[in-house]
Amino acid sequence: MNPDPITNPLGPALRDFFISSDASGHKRAYLQISEALQNPLPRVNDWRQVEYAFTRLFVGPKSLEAPPFASVYLENEPLVMGPTTMMVRSVYEMMGLVSPWKNALPEDHVSLELDAALVLEKAAEQGGSAELDELRQFFVCRHMAAWIPAFVKRVSRAESAHPAIVRAAALAGQWVENQAVLINTQRNQHLKQGGWNG
Amino acid sequence: MDKRDADSVKQAIGCPMSRRKFFRCLAAAGALAAMPGGLLRPFDAKAGKIIYEGDYEIYRNACPRNCYDTCSIKSYVKDGVLQFIEGAQASTFTDGGLCVKGYAYTRRPYSPDRIKYPMIQDGRGSGNWRRISWDEAMDMIAKKLVEINDKDDSMLGLGLTKYSGNFGITNYAVEGMMTSLGYTTRLVGTPCWPAGIDAQNYDLGDMWCNDPEDMVNSRYIILWGANPAWNSVHTMKYIYAAQDRGAKVVCIDPVFTQTAAKADVYWQVDTSMDGALALGMAKHILDKGLFDKAWVDANSVGFDEFADYLRNEISVQWAAEKSGIPRQQIVEVAEEFATAKPATIWIGYGLQRHVNGGATVRSIDALAAMTGNVGKTGGGARYGHMRTWGFNYHALLQKRPEGAKGFLGGKGPKGDFDFSGDEEAEYTDRALNINKTAEMLLTADDPPIRVLWISCKNVLSQDFDRPKMLEAFKKPELIVSVEQFFTQTVELSDIVLPVTTLFEEHTINASYWHYWLSVNEQAIKPMYEAKSNTEIAAALSARMNKLKPGSCTFPTKVDTRQWMIKEFNQDIYDLFGIDSWEDLKKGPAKAKMHPASWHDLEFGTPSKKYEFRSDLCAQHGHQALPKFKAARKPYDKLRLLTPHTKFGIHSQFINIDWMEDFNKKPYCYLHPLAARERGIGDGDQVRVFNKVGEVELEVKLTQNVPADVVMMYEAWFRNNAYNCQNVVDDTSSDMGKYKTGAPGVAIHDQFADVEKV
Repeated sequence: MNPDPITNPLGPALRDFFISSDASGHKRAYLQISEALQNPLPRVNDWRQVEYAFTRLFVGPKSLEAPPFASVYLENEPLVMGPTTMMVRSVYEMMGLVSPWKNALPEDHVSLELDAALVLEKAAEQGGSAELDELRQFFVCRHMAAWIPAFVKRVSRAESAHPAIVRAAALAGQWVENQAVLINTQRNQHLKQGGWNG
Repeated sequence: MDKRDADSVKQAIGCPMSRRKFFRCLAAAGALAAMPGGLLRPFDAKAGKIIYEGDYEIYRNACPRNCYDTCSIKSYVKDGVLQFIEGAQASTFTDGGLCVKGYAYTRRPYSPDRIKYPMIQDGRGSGNWRRISWDEAMDMIAKKLVEINDKDDSMLGLGLTKYSGNFGITNYAVEGMMTSLGYTTRLVGTPCWPAGIDAQNYDLGDMWCNDPEDMVNSRYIILWGANPAWNSVHTMKYIYAAQDRGAKVVCIDPVFTQTAAKADVYWQVDTSMDGALALGMAKHILDKGLFDKAWVDANSVGFDEFADYLRNEISVQWAAEKSGIPRQQIVEVAEEFATAKPATIWIGYGLQRHVNGGATVRSIDALAAMTGNVGKTGGGARYGHMRTWGFNYHALLQKRPEGAKGFLGGKGPKGDFDFSGDEEAEYTDRALNINKTAEMLLTADDPPIRVLWISCKNVLSQDFDRPKMLEAFKKPELIVSVEQFFTQTVELSDIVLPVTTLFEEHTINASYWHYWLSVNEQAIKPMYEAKSNTEIAAALSARMNKLKPGSCTFPTKVDTRQWMIKEFNQDIYDLFGIDSWEDLKKGPAKAKMHPASWHDLEFGTPSKKYEFRSDLCAQHGHQALPKFKAARKPYDKLRLLTPHTKFGIHSQFINIDWMEDFNKKPYCYLHPLAARERGIGDGDQVRVFNKVGEVELEVKLTQNVPADVVMMYEAWFRNNAYNCQNVVDDTSSDMGKYKTGAPGVAIHDQFADVEKV
């Protein structure tokens, strides 16, 4: 993993991959993911097949094989726009942000969450604050880290799993895990240094 | 998910960051608004206000499904999200409660399985779907429509099949869209209740039932082929109330239903022999002189001929043999029914889904009429009504494009919900029988159905002879489905368009049973990219006119709330005693109608009397008198029944997670005697098969079904290929063409055998 989180384009590329709507979008994001890695991803010959698999996993119209929403993994019943979505919405509100698809696309969609994690990362790099640190700690280390591994597992085991998508999902899982490690490390450093001074 | 994951999940849900702490955080996070992400954007006034606490926004909705109860709903919304719903207290019928399916409604907009975007399938049935934009979808469809119009010099190659998936009045925009494109082909008729509608029209001059709330006044209630304990739970309270006041309740059904369990008397009638039973009762009432002579003399025609028929050709013993109900029981109930005033009969839709269904309903109507129970509170032969449906049909009534050509020589489509009026025109739409959709798709020619548009309907689950339907679905060049979930019909479509749920659109709902009217407000924004049927019509029109100006008259921009308002008129306001539609925002309103249908005894028949002898019926090729009509000859060893399940309305609701909790998979039901003969045990996997096709599923043994019956519920399961239409053919019922444009289907005149697999 690239140790420099600010300049590493992996996070944005993963975010864009999971919200892309067609083969060209998948391809563009996949190539960006590949560029961000030190070891490039395997070449994909037929992007149409990726698109078909992507819709079966995340879009529809059939029952989704791996719904890209946190709610599905964190709640007892398979439903969106419930407590988890609303909790994530309130995290975005805390950050002064709002989804452009409020009340049309659940806020706990993996790409929106990755985007929020990226914003929190950027904010931390630019100085941050104790509150933001706590918010980031909660959102990434506890919330995202709680469901993304289950999501990654479900993608890898899905009937329509395509190697390119499985790889992207695994990388997303890895990215969240790395973020969590980084956040905890930074937090410990701050605590050692006597906490935030702002 | 393993235990470690599960523990993390619990931690994440039990968020330790309280709201208070969040607030503190907000000030610190203000800086983040200056650095939005790639997707998230700054929260500003345009994004609305942040809702933390406080009251819910309350909206009025109504269940638009094909159900007697058409419940008035109150919806509670917070920060644009539907939280929960309840039955409206303002309606004495809904009375603050919903059914098991209704309470699951909040699961519908927010199911992760919902169809979210317009999508195209590369290869019908291939499962290779791609997401496309609305513009792309409309462009593909519009280009195809222009192409077929150029090829055929008409739009008759465009076929519409739509029925009862959403009865909200503005959804007639689908038919309006078709009209606005030209003369098209319509699959007309109804699989539901047509034979009974015709029967009541021959007898009474219309289908018009008493207010169900008036059933409390009945002294004797026969629930004939109806299972309200499952299918009209709100009516049950009036039945119980009548029982509490001393009324006797008789339930007649081949299946021992939950309603039967609540009745005082249960008759397990031999399927399709209800007419014989009614005539046997009529004969005994006649013999005993218990009929209402004054009533029939004053208000009917043909009674003497009917009486002669009963005297000469009917005996109670014959009725007992035909129906399987002992003679003595027929005699007792007939006498009680004739002497308890008022007495009523609820005629269920199942008993007319037979080759003799219309004749049966006429026999039962006759029983109510000869005892003077028609036109009386607490009385009536109750079937349904459309008396509260006098809307403007603004969405439906669109102009044809200039120069449009169509079908010559036909009278045009009719239907149970046909509100198009009797417009005389050189051309008409081409009408094909909806109950023989497979056959029609295969045989329609000059032009064939090149484009099939499906809305408010799950053809592959609900239409008959599915093996033939699978063949028929190979024929159209383009199939477009408008849906909320991935049904078996969507599976075989080329394009699917996501449609709004009831919470996401403005419309109005009336009932074909009770007398209440509800407004349905848009309570939440449509999820994902769903559009209402009205908006879809407008979007298609915009694209059509861009490609070929003047090719579609449907407005290209619609304000759906305004379109809902445009459906109201002064007659509606007067009927419901309201000054404006906005009064309905305070709650549903009830029609200011007499509780008894035909209370003025001004019948709608040619003679203006109740017609025991209907010449019109005879002109239409049936018997003038409500005589016995023979049943369909069995074509296999067991009778097959495919009635409604408790957990769905036709193919709807069964896929909703809360319903799945109780109803995970389909079963067939077999009597232990029939099972023993076949070496079948409870829980065995069996094959139900006949000349049409076969179904494989688990069997449950029960004495609730007769020994000569195999039963399975009609249903569409999300993750199960089950489909009862694999073993139901498209044989017509006797009546239905007169008022609904096509005869019904003999859904319960099916036969099959069962074997262990």
